[in-house]
Amino acid sequence: MSEFKNNTISELPDITKVEFTKVDRNYLKVLLINFFLVFILLFVVLSFLINKELVEETSDYTGLVYSIFFIIGLAIITFYIIGFSKRKYALRDNDISYKSGVFVKTMTTVPFSRIQHVEIDQGPISRFLGLSSLTVFTAGDSSSDLEISGIKNEQALKIKEFISAKVHES
Amino acid sequence: MNHNYSFSEFSRQSSKGVLVIYGDILLKIVKQTWVLFFLFVSRISEISEVQSTYIYLGVFVVFMFSLGRAYLSYRNFKFKIVDHQFVLKKGIIKKSNTSIAFDRIQNINFKQNLIQQFINVYGVSIETAGSNKTEIVIKALSHSKALALKELISTVAVSSETSQEQQKPLLKIKIGELLKVSLTENHFRSLLVLIALLIGFFQQIEHVLEGLGRKEFLDDYLNQSTEAVLGSILLIVVLFLGVVLVSIFSSFIRVFLRHFNLVLFVKKEAFEINQGLLTKKSVVLKKQKVQSITVSSNPFKRWVGISYVVFKQAMSGKMKNKKDKVIKIVGCEHDQVNLIKNHLFDSGQLDASQKHYTDSYYKTRILFLTSIILLVINSSIFLIFDILDLLFITLLLMPLCYFLIHKKIKKTFYKISTNLLLVGKGLVDTHHTYFQLFKVQNVTMKQTIFQQRRDVVDLILQTASGKIRIPCMPSKNATEIYNHILFNVETSKQSWM
Repeated sequence: MSEFKNNTISELPDITKVEFTKVDRNYLKVLLINFFLVFILLFVVLSFLINKELVEETSDYTGLVYSIFFIIGLAIITFYIIGFSKRKYALRDNDISYKSGVFVKTMTTVPFSRIQHVEIDQGPISRFLGLSSLTVFTAGDSSSDLEISGIKNEQALKIKEFISAKVHES
Repeated sequence: MNHNYSFSEFSRQSSKGVLVIYGDILLKIVKQTWVLFFLFVSRISEISEVQSTYIYLGVFVVFMFSLGRAYLSYRNFKFKIVDHQFVLKKGIIKKSNTSIAFDRIQNINFKQNLIQQFINVYGVSIETAGSNKTEIVIKALSHSKALALKELISTVAVSSETSQEQQKPLLKIKIGELLKVSLTENHFRSLLVLIALLIGFFQQIEHVLEGLGRKEFLDDYLNQSTEAVLGSILLIVVLFLGVVLVSIFSSFIRVFLRHFNLVLFVKKEAFEINQGLLTKKSVVLKKQKVQSITVSSNPFKRWVGISYVVFKQAMSGKMKNKKDKVIKIVGCEHDQVNLIKNHLFDSGQLDASQKHYTDSYYKTRILFLTSIILLVINSSIFLIFDILDLLFITLLLMPLCYFLIHKKIKKTFYKISTNLLLVGKGLVDTHHTYFQLFKVQNVTMKQTIFQQRRDVVDLILQTASGKIRIPCMPSKNATEIYNHILFNVETSKQSWM
């Protein structure tokens, strides 16, 4: 057996030729609402600090601090919007894949035969919009399990059923 | 010897086990209270007779109480084996009932510490992948029962023909070889271990003294002695030599205590490893449960032609801090490493494959990151302390950094064949990890925007025993390997553990 690549490349199913599905568009709302909640909280804390405690020293810089704060917020929102279209998943007969990332692109594939269990959960805002996130657990280090957020409830259930059936099959 | 124990009925440990349990309990108490004892001895003149009677009485009560506890825990500890399951009942007040199926057992350890050697019983512990604690610990089992149990668990589905094979070991490390191993150990690490131990020791003393309001006393003492030490350069040199000697010596002790008389047997489905000087340990390790093996060595070890082999098994995430559970075979020569590899998988198939090194981008990235770290350290020290000297030290360090990075690049490579992958890495040490492709749990490809320009990606393979990362390979190769591994995993009928 020489190098495996030369004779097997044409036969193997190619991950790069798979059609990936984007996650549900409503999930962007969830992300943005969550972000705004945190942002407003931080804003309140910041303005409180500026008004009460640091008045004398920072009066010259108040405008600057606020504008930096808003620019960072704006950057994060842009980042979310651009990154959102990169969140894609794909289901094949024997495995499930997920891609994401703007600056650091990652793609993970988990074969069904290695899945330990599947979990569906919903945050409060996701529940309101009828979305769930699906997490797939494998053995070993739990940090790199596959999580797909922002799938419609019915779809998530369907995928879960599909995977469970496949896992029991093997 | 009669090997016909069936363990089908509930049985207790050897009656001598009470002693072992008693010893264990006492040791635990001593570990927690030795400082008090120390204090007591140092101030014995200040204690009145009445007080000391009370103290002796207290100690006596503790001894009796421990004995009672040891006896009760011995009485309440029962185990049996039914339908290929190990069932254990234990607990004096809080009762627990554990059962473990044989095919979930990852390894079985047989241990003999000094007490156990003296009364000739064995300690047995059984581990699975599930929990970060050892599931089953039997403290005292008679020699014949221990042998029977070992036989029963390790030879499930193995016929009796293998028993002659067991006679001659695959590997035997003699004292001379062990000397080589200890001399070539990473002495720096031994020193760190020693320092950590001493710090722990010191903190415990401080803790107790603080409780007694005498912390200043210790601090004063330390200050005085440090001043005295710093006063003399000669003393520093002596101290340095002393530290070097101590660390070499502690490497020796560590290696001899753990690996004395190391013997490796190969059975049909398992390895059996025996080692240890004071505490004799014997591990039965199922081949099928081994997720990957790593062959490691450092420049000194390579020079004398030895390396060590680490077996990695499936583990749950929290088990990372359980370093002493790693199964390691020290002092293997090249042929012996090959033998071990061939017993686990057909390693010959890698010979024909080409060695792939990382893309030059990897070097650029590491150089860039190292420069940034050096820059940040230097400038912050300059800004805070206004010292320029460090800059010159950094200038001197730079060639060393470059040399190390160069080494690291040269050691990073991968080799792949139909169902085996070899990943090399290392800086000073060299690590070669071998694993079977079908044991991969999931695959990840990662690409930063800087990598995108060079069209390279990192490939991360998740196995049940941890992540294996192959940095910076051309994305075309990575996709091929990605597809190849998925194909391998999805078509494999073998169980990964």
